[in-house]
Amino acid sequence: MTGTGARPGDRLLRGVHRTLTGLHPAVESVLAAILGLLVGAVLMYIWGYDPWRAYWALLKGAFGGDYEIASSIARGVPLILTGLTFSICLRAGMFNIGAEGQMYVGAAASICVAYFSLPHPWHLVVGILFAAAAGVLWSLGPALLKLTRGVSEVISTIMFNWISRFLVFYLVAYVLVDPRQAQRTVRIPLSARFPILVPGTDLSAAVYLAVGFALFVYVLLWHTAVGYEVRAAGLNPTAARYGGISIKRTMVLSFALGGVAAGLAGAATTMGLPPTYAIISGLPELMNLGFDGMAVAMVGRNHPIGILFAALFFGGLNAGGRVMQFYGANPVPLEMVRVVMGAIVLAMAIPELARVLPAVAGAARGLVRTLSPKARKEAA
Amino acid sequence: MGMGAEGGAKPGPDGYFLRAERITKVYSDGTVAVRDVTLELRPGEIVGLLGENGAGKTTLTKVLSGLLPPTRGRVVSPRGPVRFASPREALDFGIGMVHQHFALVGTFTAVENVALSHERPLTPLKLDATRAKLEALMAESGLKVPLDVPVEKLAVGEQQRVEILKVLSQDVDLLILDEPTSVLTPLEVDELFKLLRRLRDEGKAIVLITHKLREVGAITDRVVVLRKGAVVGDVSTAAVTREELAQLMVGKAVGTRAERAVELSTDEIPAHGSHGHSERGPGVLHVEGLSVAGTTKPIAVHDLTFDVYGGEIFGIAGVEGNGQTELVEALTGLRPALKGTATIHGKNILGLDPRQIYKLGVAHIPEDRWVLGLVLPFTLAENAILGVHRWDQFRGPLSVLRWGKINAHVRALMERFEIQATGPNAPAKSLSGGNQQKLIVGRELAKDPAIVIASQPTRGLDVGAAQYIRDTLVEMRDRGRAILLVSADLDEVLALSDRVAIMYEGRFMAVARPEELDREKIGMLMGGVGVKG
Repeated sequence: MTGTGARPGDRLLRGVHRTLTGLHPAVESVLAAILGLLVGAVLMYIWGYDPWRAYWALLKGAFGGDYEIASSIARGVPLILTGLTFSICLRAGMFNIGAEGQMYVGAAASICVAYFSLPHPWHLVVGILFAAAAGVLWSLGPALLKLTRGVSEVISTIMFNWISRFLVFYLVAYVLVDPRQAQRTVRIPLSARFPILVPGTDLSAAVYLAVGFALFVYVLLWHTAVGYEVRAAGLNPTAARYGGISIKRTMVLSFALGGVAAGLAGAATTMGLPPTYAIISGLPELMNLGFDGMAVAMVGRNHPIGILFAALFFGGLNAGGRVMQFYGANPVPLEMVRVVMGAIVLAMAIPELARVLPAVAGAARGLVRTLSPKARKEAA
Repeated sequence: MGMGAEGGAKPGPDGYFLRAERITKVYSDGTVAVRDVTLELRPGEIVGLLGENGAGKTTLTKVLSGLLPPTRGRVVSPRGPVRFASPREALDFGIGMVHQHFALVGTFTAVENVALSHERPLTPLKLDATRAKLEALMAESGLKVPLDVPVEKLAVGEQQRVEILKVLSQDVDLLILDEPTSVLTPLEVDELFKLLRRLRDEGKAIVLITHKLREVGAITDRVVVLRKGAVVGDVSTAAVTREELAQLMVGKAVGTRAERAVELSTDEIPAHGSHGHSERGPGVLHVEGLSVAGTTKPIAVHDLTFDVYGGEIFGIAGVEGNGQTELVEALTGLRPALKGTATIHGKNILGLDPRQIYKLGVAHIPEDRWVLGLVLPFTLAENAILGVHRWDQFRGPLSVLRWGKINAHVRALMERFEIQATGPNAPAKSLSGGNQQKLIVGRELAKDPAIVIASQPTRGLDVGAAQYIRDTLVEMRDRGRAILLVSADLDEVLALSDRVAIMYEGRFMAVARPEELDREKIGMLMGGVGVKG
């Protein structure tokens, strides 16, 4: 049994393992996306939907024409920003899941521009700054808790998400509420809206902001000493400290930068997403954008450029999913799109899974061996 | 278990146990770690596997023990070719390996750790049987370890013994030990060697990976010398001199290097002390009344006062764990001091962060290059600017890194310090230990420091790399820099230092010129026995 020659199954397993672990991260992400779509197809089939028609509808809805492409990009814009929030902090060695809450307060802060007037570009700029500042302020809570009290950022950001959620519920219902339309806040005035890029679609100039910020993060992380410090602290905090890098500073910096990104995601949704230009009670336009951003960050391999593509893909799923649920005689509910998203995120863990496959196989063999003493004796 | 013992793998008295036939191992990044190696291992023989860092010793043994599949070639036993899909299978076959980094669960006791290694899926842990077996093994081999103490509480030497017991408890026929003596005290080394001889006499095949020539002579029956992945010598230990071995291992025909190797072959590091070099410069580092808390002890450094002058190497010798680490960390800004003062050129350094201390002219070669010295996933270039990444020559306006200049700097370092790597963008983790250390040394010396604080600078390095680093330190000394050398390698401290301090329990037992100390005296001082008058 000590293997005079390899079992064929072993060789296959090892081949699969080597192939999967040797893949370029981008290829891994694409494979995960395909696998996620396959899982979705199987589920649709089991539930009696026609996966091919559904995906066809989804594809057409996402990228079938100028209008569809524009709205896919528009759906991806906030995801780029919330994805960056997660990635920046992960690069700094922290697991920040506070994008959701930081985005809410950013959105609420941007609404404040409705209470004063300024000429066009400046009104917009002030709104963006408000949102960014609110996002930073909200991110500093967990950052300072970690810094001074050692509170795990995972716990504190989750709790800050809830605080933020109900705070913004309150603000929407009682403070920023439009007296004539009680189900939503006052609207962002024309002078503070992102210009629409493709008339008749949702795509506004907010996309420039998101893409610009992603490029900024890329340059910052890989081409400046500040970003170098952030990455060093994330990969090996002890060596970073030895190298004269202040871990506290990189921590606060990456949290604050993440807060800016999340705040901007809020602004992009309130000031750059027609037709509402307000926060609706219950936050339907905002809900989950922060969490979806984490999925985007994972598929984008926590690289700003990867995030751009991943956000486009997820934006397409969102936009296409809306079409899918009205398509044909037996339309597929929008929830199926979320199943696909979940499956993709799970599939992202497969290379890791492949790494443990040989161990699993070994354990299985050991099990067989243990259970059959005869086989064991023979082998000996 | 015990497959190998009665599995028929055991050969006759003249046969071999395992033979590696024309093994070649190419890593996925194209590095050829082992090149066409043929090697026969026989029962009742201790084989020394000698070679510089990166010579392929560890890779070869990993192929033998099933951790790595060979790219070409095969491993055969008298029964035919063998191929192990996992270390588990190799172990079942009778091949056990004790790694440099132990594979023990820190919070488990020795019994639990060994039982764990016998564990198969879905079978209960046999703690009682394991204990009985261990007790028998300990009685038989003379290896003693506390069985019921969590292994993390044991000394490193004891942990190693647990590792060895763990492997022995699997009834192995071939025992591979990767640099087993690097963590042991001289006494523990003697005990280990006694045990290995006994195991050999019982008929086990033993492979000892080492780069210490003294050990090769002391324990092995046969030496296999590897250089750049290929076997350059396979000789009986009795038939070869240390000089010849050193030359085989280093292999450089260039006079100076070969001479160095020969000098080293007697395990004598060429003395670089103050002989003929007596012009001591002005004081650089002044430490007074310094006390530092340890991680586990309330006080690790106790009221130390000393000076280090330009143009001298001030060596601190002593058994590890007597406050050397804490002293260095306090002086480099990594650990707060309890009380006392420390100044560089009269400027206080206590309470400053590492970067401020570097600005005052301190270079720090840290004792742990993987944890402190390098960010392993970073590239060579990224590592080469750690700590100096904010210098103007590497950083332009808006804090933008000048990668062009950084890469040029790295290429210069690679050239000057003979760092073997594919280029500035190679990940640091792909380098061998010696090259990693050269990278750190190069980076630190490029700071053109007033004082170099070097902690275990040659640990785990091969003869060539270690000597290179020692030469570099001496050269810095000769250029008038102050060197604070902390090393557990007594030979190294004595050979390089102008003054030596023996540290014990956070205090200096003595500060003297190396020629004023004989080994017996040093041994007593290191053991905490004060020598009066």
